Amino acid sequence: MPLNRLTFLTNLIDLFTSTVSYEERLANFVYLVARNFNVDQVLFFGLDKNRSRLFLNADSRKSVLRPRLEFALGEGIVGQTAQQRTPLILQMSQLPVQPENQPLLALVPNVQTLACFPVADDNFLYGVLLFISRVSREFLPVEKETILIACRMLAGNIRQALLHEEAKKRIAELAVLYEIAKATGATRELPVLLEQVVSISAKVLNARGASLRIVDEVSQQIHVSSEYGIVPRDVPPVGTLFCEKPLLTGELPSITSELTNSQGEKHYFAGIPLNLKGHLKGMLCLYDKMGANHSFQQFDQENIQLLQTLAGMATSSIENALAFQQIEALAAKNARMVNILTVLHDISAVLMTTIEMDKILTILVRALTFKNAMDYDRAIIFLVDKRRQLLVESRHAYQPSAASTLPLRQALLADLGNPEEATPVGPHPIEVPLRPDQGILAQSVLFRKPFHIMRADQHPQVNQQIREQLSGQEFIAVPLLAKEEATGVIVIDNHFTQRPLDEEDMHFLTMFANQAALAIENSRLVETIEASSKELTLIRERMLESDRLAAMSSMAEGLAHEIRNPLVSIGGFARRISKQVKAGEELKWHELKKYVDVIVDEVGRLEKILRQMFDYTGDSLGYFREHEINGLVEDALTLIHRDLEKYNIQVVKEYADLPPVYCDERQIKLVFYNIFQNAQQAMENGGTLTIRTFPLEKKDGLYAAIAVSDTGGGIAPELVYNIFNPFFTTKEQGTGLGLSIAQRIVSRHYGDIEINNELGKGITFTVTLPIAKYCLLPLKNSTSGTTSLEEV
Amino acid sequence: MKKILVADDEMSIRLLYSEELKEEGYDVITASNGKEALEIVSREPLDLVILDIKMPEMSGIEVLRQIKEKYPDLPVLLSSAYSEYKQDFGTWASEEYLVKSSDLEDLKAAVRRHLKN
Ligand SMILES: [Mg+2]
Repeated sequence: MPLNRLTFLTNLIDLFTSTVSYEERLANFVYLVARNFNVDQVLFFGLDKNRSRLFLNADSRKSVLRPRLEFALGEGIVGQTAQQRTPLILQMSQLPVQPENQPLLALVPNVQTLACFPVADDNFLYGVLLFISRVSREFLPVEKETILIACRMLAGNIRQALLHEEAKKRIAELAVLYEIAKATGATRELPVLLEQVVSISAKVLNARGASLRIVDEVSQQIHVSSEYGIVPRDVPPVGTLFCEKPLLTGELPSITSELTNSQGEKHYFAGIPLNLKGHLKGMLCLYDKMGANHSFQQFDQENIQLLQTLAGMATSSIENALAFQQIEALAAKNARMVNILTVLHDISAVLMTTIEMDKILTILVRALTFKNAMDYDRAIIFLVDKRRQLLVESRHAYQPSAASTLPLRQALLADLGNPEEATPVGPHPIEVPLRPDQGILAQSVLFRKPFHIMRADQHPQVNQQIREQLSGQEFIAVPLLAKEEATGVIVIDNHFTQRPLDEEDMHFLTMFANQAALAIENSRLVETIEASSKELTLIRERMLESDRLAAMSSMAEGLAHEIRNPLVSIGGFARRISKQVKAGEELKWHELKKYVDVIVDEVGRLEKILRQMFDYTGDSLGYFREHEINGLVEDALTLIHRDLEKYNIQVVKEYADLPPVYCDERQIKLVFYNIFQNAQQAMENGGTLTIRTFPLEKKDGLYAAIAVSDTGGGIAPELVYNIFNPFFTTKEQGTGLGLSIAQRIVSRHYGDIEINNELGKGITFTVTLPIAKYCLLPLKNSTSGTTSLEEV
Repeated sequence: MKKILVADDEMSIRLLYSEELKEEGYDVITASNGKEALEIVSREPLDLVILDIKMPEMSGIEVLRQIKEKYPDLPVLLSSAYSEYKQDFGTWASEEYLVKSSDLEDLKAAVRRHLKN
């Protein structure tokens, strides 16, 4: 069975958009591929995480017990295909077996052909697909191309599966971290915690002031995070008391110190480092221990020890709080990422559901602007018109979309046929010539580069029309890249909300654009395939037409031959008679008799031809009634009975009881007479004529079927298509009109003739005629019961 | 007496041709198919052959080819009910191609022409 690309690719799209697990999809994929390309076995080898070895992941013959198979990159046909990323086909008959391929050959005995295709997208190789055939097999260019498309679709699917796995893992990790952070730091938030540490320290030691400084992980500078009481301002920076730099290495000792300000007033200071696992996390400072009469005192060793304990207790809490704060920030950032990844995954799943360009564009614009998707205010999609070298505005959304209550996937797919959305560009789409001097959009496509423009109105490279549409705002343009080639560009802005765009927007839009480009590319591929299959249909129709013309001219030719021969004889003998009479000779009666007999015979032959032509062209009026078909067949058989006996042909009859058929008795007898005659002529050396009647259920009702088989050896297969052509004959006798007439009559009865030609055995003609009840012909009052065909 | 072979699958044509040609004073012998014609050609000394094209089993063209292979000097006239083959006859190496007609004067003239040589 020849490969049907469209059906196959549609099957793949169905498979890849189905909800089954990734493993199951892969298994179904290899099975589908093996079946469609008619090979014994198809294996998928996946590349491992280290990108160095390929492992057997899927096998189209699941039930077969197999050894564990793996290949290093570059090893055997599997490894080589992965390394070179190009298809490799090995014909065993032409090459000595490489030892590296031995494990494959051991898998299936008598392998003749191994064909290996890379499963990769533009960036990554995910594995290879191996075709194993026990018969020597070539791969046509169209097959290779289809396999590569399938491999590419598989690659896209694997990539999505990986992406989805990644996203799921990250959500799980975050959830755990979140819980831990909540448990340990539940009591306090960092600012509250710091405040409490400072105030408690100051109160415990009766100090006039205290401060807590925390090391900022990012700037690696120590800064004041919390203060309590009175902290002297004009004293040297505390950091200098420890050492200049670096502050963050090693455990520091606690210190006490006496400081003098510009007015010569003395202040007392105690510094306790917050050390955690050998790192300085911050510093607790206390100032001016107050004595009994409000005098200031230096902190003593006991105070320092107390402070150290307190600092020790505080440190881990602060650390936890710090970690919690960081995690919160991280979680907020990651939540967006996970959200976007999920959105992207949903979008790509939705994109997989259609190959119609219009629908894809609608989905893309929705995905860009929907609140629960990418959530940009406005979006325009431009596609490259290769022929005209233009970027053409193909779809836009100039208004923010109303928030949808549907889940994203359903929202993207809802009402896709809506004509308003399908042609929203208007009569004058923006067109940008594809030249580097034509601004950002053209450059984005030509240089395959995204752009983030802060002020469209001030940027010299922004195309005038775009500037008008974007009204001088910030926007992002990302190219649609498929296979090294840019097929268009996406432009978005936040015109209404004025939400600023950032690096992450660029990042996600680029990911989005890659998926969009893949969908657009697939759609175009399928369009190309559809166009070429349409073209094929046209060509086939034209060929059929020229067949018909050829048949007509061969009919004219045959007719000329069939008529000229008898005319020549008739005319010739008439002339002879005339000559004899004119010459006044004594008439030779026996000669005259001979000539006249020829003339009569030949005229009879001409009349027969005309009669056949007459029936054939259907000018005769039909007399339609309900008839028992078995009886008509039997009548036709008696007409040829003598010939059958003459050529020693046995007749085998198997008649089933059949409801009546509505038909013209005379014409239907002629059908079977012609078919019997054809069979008899095929069996000049004897044989068996088998006639079988039986009921046959077709889509549109019940039919009477009459199968007539001969044992005449059949005809050459290339001649079968000519068998109903007028004047086509392989026989000595006969005009070649018989079967042509039979076919014409049967089709006038809304029936059918099928041929089954078995070379070396014989031909079976199966005539099917509608049972009267189901007949399309008008059933008139059966007593007056006649109707002409012309009324039908 | 010049001897002419008429090969045609139609009995009436064979009869007509032989009656007319006998009247012209030729010895006429007939064949009803290609095989028979070739047999006669190899057996009898002939002066001219008139060949029908559409005959069962072996077409006149094939008979012509075999005759010309062995007896390149034996003149052969093609006589057929098909008029549209006429333009091709040059490639078939026959002496002349005549479309069958009830008026046999053209045929007889052609026979005379080629027997003279
Ligand atoms: Mg003939």
